[in-house]
Formats: sequence, C-alpha cells, structure tokens
Amino acid sequence: MRADSKPNRWLTAALLAPTSLWFLFMLIFPLIVILIFSFGERAAVGGYAGGFTLEQYANLPSRLKAFQNTMIIAPAGTLISLLVAYPLAYYLALRVDRRYKLLLLVLVIVPFWTSLLVRTYAWIFILGGRGIPTLLELIGIEGVRLINTPGAVLIGIVYGYLPLMVFPIFVSLEKLDKTLLEASSDLGGSPFKTFRQITLPLSMPGIATGCMLVFILLMGEFLIPAFLGGGKVYFIGNALVDLFLQSRNWPFGAAVSVTLVAIMLITVSLYMRMTMRSKTGRDESLM
Amino acid sequence: MSKSNDDKPITAKKFMKEFHRYQNGSITRRHFLGVTGLGAAMAVMGTAVPSLWSGKANAFGDLGDRLVFSTWPNYQNQVNLDEFSEMTGVNIQLNAFGSNEEMLAKLQAGGTGWDVFVPTNYTISNYVELDLIQELDLSRIPNYDAAANNPKFADPATVNGKVYCVPKNWGTTGFIVNSKKIKSSPKSWKDFFDVTMAAGSGHTILHDYQLTTIGGALCALGYSFNSIDAKELAEAEALLIKSKPHLFAITSDYQPGMRSTDAWMSICWNGDGTQLKNDMPEMEYVIATDGGEIWSDFYAIPKDAPHLEAAYAFINFMQDPYVQARDAAVHGYAPTDARAIALQPDSLGSDPILHPAAELMNGLEFGAAQTLTDPIRAEVMARFKSA
Repeated sequence: MRADSKPNRWLTAALLAPTSLWFLFMLIFPLIVILIFSFGERAAVGGYAGGFTLEQYANLPSRLKAFQNTMIIAPAGTLISLLVAYPLAYYLALRVDRRYKLLLLVLVIVPFWTSLLVRTYAWIFILGGRGIPTLLELIGIEGVRLINTPGAVLIGIVYGYLPLMVFPIFVSLEKLDKTLLEASSDLGGSPFKTFRQITLPLSMPGIATGCMLVFILLMGEFLIPAFLGGGKVYFIGNALVDLFLQSRNWPFGAAVSVTLVAIMLITVSLYMRMTMRSKTGRDESLM
Repeated sequence: MSKSNDDKPITAKKFMKEFHRYQNGSITRRHFLGVTGLGAAMAVMGTAVPSLWSGKANAFGDLGDRLVFSTWPNYQNQVNLDEFSEMTGVNIQLNAFGSNEEMLAKLQAGGTGWDVFVPTNYTISNYVELDLIQELDLSRIPNYDAAANNPKFADPATVNGKVYCVPKNWGTTGFIVNSKKIKSSPKSWKDFFDVTMAAGSGHTILHDYQLTTIGGALCALGYSFNSIDAKELAEAEALLIKSKPHLFAITSDYQPGMRSTDAWMSICWNGDGTQLKNDMPEMEYVIATDGGEIWSDFYAIPKDAPHLEAAYAFINFMQDPYVQARDAAVHGYAPTDARAIALQPDSLGSDPILHPAAELMNGLEFGAAQTLTDPIRAEVMARFKSA
C-alpha cells in the first residue's frame, strides 16, 4: 500500500459521487430552502410568502415550553436508556452462555420488525386506565395516572430506543480483551474496581455512540409524545408537525427547525469534544 | 363498535311483506334488495355475474386496483368498503384525519395521492378558491339525487354555480359526559370548562382541532363559535391555557380515552356520541345551551386525484341509499339523503342524538369559511398546544 500511494482519483470520485449527490440534494438544498423560508412570511391562506423579516425568530419564545420539554426529556430519556441498556449489553457480551447469545441478540431486535407506531399505540392501552393502573388497584394502590404524563413518554422512549443503545455498547464490550479482566483480578482488583477501571473505560466508545444515536433521534421525536403524552407533553417535533400540518405557518416552522438544528450542532459538537478528550486517542470510536 | 342491523337476518314475514311491496311497485328493486339483504348477496355475485348487479354503478370498466380515501375516525362501515373492493377489484387505502386544517395542509403541500376525501361544509369554498378540488361531473354519480338532499346541508357543495362535492352526513358538535363519573350534568360550554377545572379535573379531552376546541371556548365566554375577533380569541386562548393542566388529552381520537374511562368528558360529534352510548349507557351526549356547531360533510375529489375513475365509482357506490343507510347504522351519523333515512330503522330516525329537536339546534352555527384560514385562530391553537 505504501509502495503505490498515489490514489486513483477517478475511482475515488466515482465511488463518492452517489453519496455526495444524495448529501447535496437531500440535505444541503433542503436546509437552504428551510433557511430561506425562515425569513419569510405566512401566506394569507397558509404556506409561505416571500419576504425578509426576523419576525419568525422573534416569535420563538412562544414555543419555549416545547424547547424546554425536549431539552429535559431527551437527555433524561438517553440517560435512562443507558442505565437500562448497559447491564443488558454487559450480560449479553460477557456473561451469557454462548449457546443462547445469538437467540438473545435476535430477541433484542425482534421489536424492530413491527412499526414503532403500532408498538407505541399498544402502550396507550398498557398505560391507560384499564391497563397498569387497574392492576395497581388490585394491590391497593389507587389513583395512579400514567398515560399522558412525562413519565409515560419516558417509558415509551426507553422502550422504543433501547435496542439502539444496547447494540453499540454490546459491540464494544464484546471486543474487550477478556484477559485484561483476568489480569486485574490476579493483581487483586475487586470486581467493582475492575469494572470501573477496565470495563467501563473500554466500553466508552459504545456508550458515546449509543447516547449520540438516541439523543439525536430523540431531539426530533414527535410520535411518542403525541401518543403517550396525549398532546400534553409537547416536543419541538410536535410543534413542527403542528406548524406545518395544522396552522400551516411554514416560515415560523422553518425558523423553529433552524433553531433546532443550531441547538443540535452546538450540543453535539460539545459532546464530541468531551468524549474525544476523555478517550485521549486511545480507542477508535464506532461513529 | 356497534353492530349493524344488517347483520341480523330478516324475518320470513318481513321478507314477504317487502316482496309484496316490491311487486306492487311501492318500493324500488334497490330498496327491496337492500332491506332483505339480497342486495349484499347479489353484489357479491355481481363480480362473477355482472348482469345480476342491478346498480347504476355497473359499467365499472377498468378502475385500476387502488383508491386512497381520506376521511375522519369512526366514520365508515367497513362492510361497505369491503363490498366495493370485492365488486370492483379496487383496494381502498383509508387515512383518518382529526381536522380539516390537516387535510388542507396536505392538499396545499401537494402530491397527496388522495382520490376521495371528506371535507366539511365550511372548507369547500376555500378549496375551490385555492383550486384544490375538482368540479364534479354529476352524470358519473347517477346514485346522487339532489332533490332527496336537504338543501340546508347540501348547499355548501355548490360554489359559483358549480357542484364540487356530494353530501355524506350531517351532525352536531357538542360534548359527551360519562354520567357515572360526573354527576352535575353540565349543560353548556361554560359548565363544561367549569367542571373541567373542578370536579372533573384531569379527565377532559379537547379536540386537536381549532374549529371545535376554540369554538367551544368562545361559546363558554358568550361569543360566537366562529369568532375571528382578536380580542375574543385572546380571551378564548386564556381560557384554554388555564384549563390545560386539567385536561386528560388534546386529541380528536377521543373514543379510546372515553371508553377506558380515563376521560370523563370530551368535545364530541353526535354520531360518536351514539356509538359510545350504544356500548356504555352512562354516556350522555349534550348539545350545549350556549352554542356549538352544526355541520355537514361531503365527498370530494382533489384536483390531482390519480385514480379518477375509481373515485367516481366509489362516490357513486357510497351515494346508493342502501349503502348510505348501512354506513349510518355503524357510524351513527344521520344521512342528508331522504332516501337513505327512509331505509333506516325507526329507532334511528327518531333518535334524539341524531335528530335533535329544532329548538335545541337554534343556537348552533355552521362553521364559517374564514375560520379555516384565519391566522390568529391557527396560532391560538398552536400556542395552546405548546403551552
């Protein structure tokens, strides 16, 4: 490879062309359109009318609650997913009998074979008055309200996004060199110390990837809050759906989108910097 | 879901009675086939032996294999849709919407792929103005009988002398109360919001639909259901936001919540009121004393409908009085067509929810065209939801 390091430029260009075109037409152009729209005005009957105004951005505080909800529930959902997913990934990667490993891994994926919409709709009934609250009444706990609360949305989020968190962590634990664990215990490290000083740091790339995947998707989530929040737990995604599909205020919707993209760019780049630094170049990220 | 009366076999005596009426010419062949259930049987056979099918929707030709139908939740009898598919080979893809605004937004964005949709009276002039729906060729809908339709409900279909849709059903917008949970029997929108913020806190559903949700709040404050006055709308917004912590949900699909008894009150369309009361007698549908909505819905064809032939065949099929009556038997909304009403069991014709006394309806208003596109109403609703 070193001997003939001159790359074949044409081949490289040909291989990258489809992705580049896709990137250009499906990401860059639409983003530019959204940016232009965000400075326009709502047409009389709804939609977009040209113009240049900062009115839409000035109106952003009217959606403050949606931004707040998203900025609180998305990180919370990511954190809870991590706490639930890590032990599961750990068990699957290091503890389970090899014979069952594949089966258990498939079981983690199985829910993906049904649409998230259908699965989330099912949760409406599980969390609704005749579901879990009725069971709780049987054991004497009365008046529990689950559906249409932030808690219900969090349950839906953790349920829906768990596999996305399990797999990256599983992969990083799977390729962890087991002899390191033996070495640690031979040298007198307690199981907790071994976990804290060896397993956890070595699985950080998986954690970082899983958190990033889940967090980015959650910031744009609208289906789970719409179904399990009953219109009361309102995300930016829901505000966008309303602005484009109900009140037909495209310019304001575009301004909200641009703001969301900006918030994401800032948080994600901060996050990347933090995780990069903590790894000190020791291990490659999965991203 | 309530059972259709058509599932019950006709008695021999009733059959003979209808047969004699048919022989005497006092009822049409179609009516005879309909009430005896033979119509359905023949319709099925009709696919194999077309000459048996007496309907005017006969010359099916090649209609393609699909039709996209956008309508409202709990608003059709699946048997009718299945029968149409069996007869014509056209599979129906059904979309349910919770508001006219959502339908308008999709049509405005373009490329919906819809063939037939169900707009409400007040939206039609807007659709015509925006050039989003087609003028109908009524010669292709022979089952539609303009003379049999109550003009009060059918008139919005005609804009500038051209007919753009044919009527489906009419009804009222009031609210439903679970009387086992709420004992105070609220009678007005003012009561509705008062109870929501007191004894019924946490158990009320408002629609995800500006017309009815803002309209209800406006009525509670003593204003017109259709107001687009900025000051009145600001008061309505304040009332809605004040009530929000006391709501169970904001959704137009309110039956699941009412049925599970998570919700005790909801803004409600009268046919859904009938559906709920059929299964749960404690449900009381209320036409509010301080106002509300009276409406009619229509079948319309979007400008860019990809399956135009199938769309006409479907609308014609749905205009058949027997098919209309069978639809109404399930969804509970009153037909606008006198021929279909004549086919309904007497109990439905005199049902106080479906056919309220005239004095109860005095205070009701038809939705006004400007509410659909009014930017303040749209923004009030969006702010209320994100509050």
